[in-house]
Amino acid sequence: MSGPDREFQEAAWLDSDESRTAIRVVVNGKQVRARVPDRLLLSDFLRDHLGLTALKVACGEGACGACTVVIDGEPARCCTLLAVQTEGAHILTLEGINAAQGLNRVQQLFQQNHAVQCGYCTPGWLMTVYCMMHRSISPDSDEVAAYLSGHLCRCTGYRNIWTAVRQALGNAAEEPASGEK
Amino acid sequence: MTEKTPMLVQPARIRRYVGQAVLRAEDECLLRGTGGFLVDIPAPDAAEICVVRSREPHAIVRKICTDRALANPGVIAILTANDLDLVDEVLPCVDMIPGTLDVRHRVIARDRVRYVGQPVALVVAANRYLAEDAAALVEIEYESLPPVTDHMAAMNPGAPLLYPELGTNIVYQVTQVDGNPAFAAREGDLVIRKRFEFHRQTAVPLETRGVTAKLIDNGERLHVESCTQLPQMLRTVLARTLGMGLDRIRVTAPRLGGGFGCKEMVYPEEILVPAVARKLQRPVRWLEDRGEHFASATHAREETVDTEAVVAGDGTFGGLRLSGWANIGAAFGFVGNTPITAMGAMVRGPYRIPNLDARMFSVVTNKTPLNVLRGAGGPQAALVMERLLDEAARKLGIDRAEIRRRNLLHPNELPLDRGRTGFANAYHIIYDEADYPRCLEAGLGLADYANCERDRKEAAARGKLRGMGISMYVEITAVGPYETARITLQPDGTILLFSSIMPVGQGSETTQRQLVAEELGIAMEQVAIRQGDTDEVPDAVGTFASRGASVGGAVGRMAARELVSNILNCFAAELACDAAALRWEGGGVIGPEPTEEFIPLAEIPARLALLRGEQEPQKIEARYRLEVPKPSYAYATHIAVVEIDPETGRLEIPRYTVAHDCGKVVNPLLVEGQIVGGVVQGIGAVLRERLVYGSQGDLQTGAMMDYVLPAASDVPADFRLWHMETPTSFNPFGMRGVGEGGSIGAHAAVANAVADALRDYDVAVDGSGPFTPAWIMEAVNRPLRAGLGQDRAPHP
Repeated sequence: MSGPDREFQEAAWLDSDESRTAIRVVVNGKQVRARVPDRLLLSDFLRDHLGLTALKVACGEGACGACTVVIDGEPARCCTLLAVQTEGAHILTLEGINAAQGLNRVQQLFQQNHAVQCGYCTPGWLMTVYCMMHRSISPDSDEVAAYLSGHLCRCTGYRNIWTAVRQALGNAAEEPASGEK
Repeated sequence: MTEKTPMLVQPARIRRYVGQAVLRAEDECLLRGTGGFLVDIPAPDAAEICVVRSREPHAIVRKICTDRALANPGVIAILTANDLDLVDEVLPCVDMIPGTLDVRHRVIARDRVRYVGQPVALVVAANRYLAEDAAALVEIEYESLPPVTDHMAAMNPGAPLLYPELGTNIVYQVTQVDGNPAFAAREGDLVIRKRFEFHRQTAVPLETRGVTAKLIDNGERLHVESCTQLPQMLRTVLARTLGMGLDRIRVTAPRLGGGFGCKEMVYPEEILVPAVARKLQRPVRWLEDRGEHFASATHAREETVDTEAVVAGDGTFGGLRLSGWANIGAAFGFVGNTPITAMGAMVRGPYRIPNLDARMFSVVTNKTPLNVLRGAGGPQAALVMERLLDEAARKLGIDRAEIRRRNLLHPNELPLDRGRTGFANAYHIIYDEADYPRCLEAGLGLADYANCERDRKEAAARGKLRGMGISMYVEITAVGPYETARITLQPDGTILLFSSIMPVGQGSETTQRQLVAEELGIAMEQVAIRQGDTDEVPDAVGTFASRGASVGGAVGRMAARELVSNILNCFAAELACDAAALRWEGGGVIGPEPTEEFIPLAEIPARLALLRGEQEPQKIEARYRLEVPKPSYAYATHIAVVEIDPETGRLEIPRYTVAHDCGKVVNPLLVEGQIVGGVVQGIGAVLRERLVYGSQGDLQTGAMMDYVLPAASDVPADFRLWHMETPTSFNPFGMRGVGEGGSIGAHAAVANAVADALRDYDVAVDGSGPFTPAWIMEAVNRPLRAGLGQDRAPHP
């Protein structure tokens, strides 16, 4: 991923005379330079070009939160951002907080509480929980609801997600998420 | 909610899995973001397809001009109906009965479009951006026809006809009668007549649909990968429409990001994309975006039902007469007639009501085709029945719990033949063993029903309108007609189960591994599972109708039993003894007397190889086909409490109670997950979600911003759940289905609770709403009912 400028000349774009822009971003701690089509969505840049496929695009308009990544410390929807808008940014995806193997602490809590059914929305929730933990949001605070309102889940009915998130926040002080880079 | 104590499996020690809250092994990949959904499967050589869809609800297609689009960068091809070499363009509908008019869905529009979103052409380009650019330049010349979107209007003389050659928009009729359908009211009986309206919704799985297709085996075969609950059915339809032999088609379905019924369908795109791959001789992929999904994935629920109930003075229902009309959109879905059929067939739920006359119809309109959604007609049936019970209780001055007690079937009346029906895969309804009264009392106790009036007064003092709503239902689950499974003891001594049940989020991998491990007496870690590949399981039925664990799990377990028999026969042959001299115990074979040597499963292939003098251990296989002549029936009591703020219209659910019986519980953690998830979907259905069409047939809710799903804040604050376990004799392992019940019960419970909260206001809760804040504000600003309102909340 790091190294010399990488121009996206995949066959997919060869025939077009797309306007391109050079960007430099840090993704999961690694420098990335690329010349990307101006209209390339950040979600497609991360998924298709960098192979970071944990994030999911479910609504394409910033309504559901499944594509949430962390940009400069803030949870952000990458389906409604262009790659070029992230020039100079630090981007963290689920791959960047996964443990080397197995599940990190928050992921274990999601498993133990059966807070995952189909799992399509799950990577997005984990990124928001990561931000909440870094901000030391109290599990009893009204802010929890505000954060969780940014995500839709069609399977679980949310109840077990609430439990997992509160437990994660309650334990945040003594046990930060493992596998962080 | 009941306390749950999840356990991690200790391989060597725990051999009993059924009934245990085993954590899901599949969570690891999902939580790490490596779940392997269709969109995650690399397709580096695939060209991307954008489907050009009708923007007209009803029109003649005069001309399609693709010249400008073809000249656009990156375009590989643009195809319309005549370019696809299809030998048949008809998609299947499995719930047509004699007399049904044939409005089966077509793969692609030829000369006429009938709904916004119908596929008309396909643009193939180097990537999705370029495909969409070109799609915008495809020019379609339409001659507009008048649309009809309302199903009641579509039945009027002179209404626009979608299929003029049929002469009518009424395309399906099914009658369900029981007892004396000519029943009449006697003197003193109460007669309630009501019309119920159910609004149009859609499933909205977080994962949209998608299809990839490519030629494999030197171009001899076609490999189609699709987000479907029915891979085997898709293969059959591909063979017919493409004119290819079954053995030349492999369908795989990856893990699904939710289905809920909307992927229980064979869709136009699932035929079109493979047809393009064959035509162009190159890999292609189509990934549906959310806007397409709202317009082209099947819709659900919309129907109108007229009811007439005859009720004796003591509250017992003597008879029920229904006429129902489903708005099925422009063509049949795979099981598009099932919701209205199930509504008529199952409306009486757990109640005795000896006489029934239900006449149900499907009506075509210029909307997206209708299909099943979690519950498939059950939510409508329960809502009608439960509203009628509350209405009768109110008019007769009988307590709402008491009127249910007086009508419930008792265990000594079961099993009960409730008559024949046109319902697909359940042609004869025979209720199995159950204890409905116990289920009601359990729910009432858990919900603290006895104090609901006290709580209502307490809420009124806080300025809130509080209501409590009861609902009960009986649901057809675990339907047939059959299911298959294959299982192998691998040469390395592990078990591999090939299942036809798709993982859609319900935890089918874990449930099925639990059942197989239990049967074999081995550790779950020794059991692997593969799903959704027609090369591995060519003949199967699929994942729907709450049959994953109850039927799919049962057939997997039966296959494991068959495998034991095969293993014993192998040993008997090598040891030259009778198989009866061997037995299976503790996860292995116990050899013949006098030594009775124990050979654990893991060592069996090597031991057999040794006995046979073979170099390499061989696998041992077993197949099983489970016939399912009778579905089993799940039931539950749901009790919702709502509190309404009359100043803002905000509605909260402080308590929600479920007492349910799905027979033998395989994994209580997952059962609970299904129920809670289903309840919140049901809450969303009656409080939030609604598909809106303009009068001219334009779909106005084409995005998640428009279609409001239940969110984290919509969860009931206090969720109380109680499992009853009455094994059913209709299933080899006593299981009933559980995937859909949460949604079924919640529609009626919440509607009844809303009606109860607003009982002093002159407002009718005759259908599914949705009871949005705007609806509530309109209701509370109406005059009060005459003579009521003593305990109403203070109102501005």
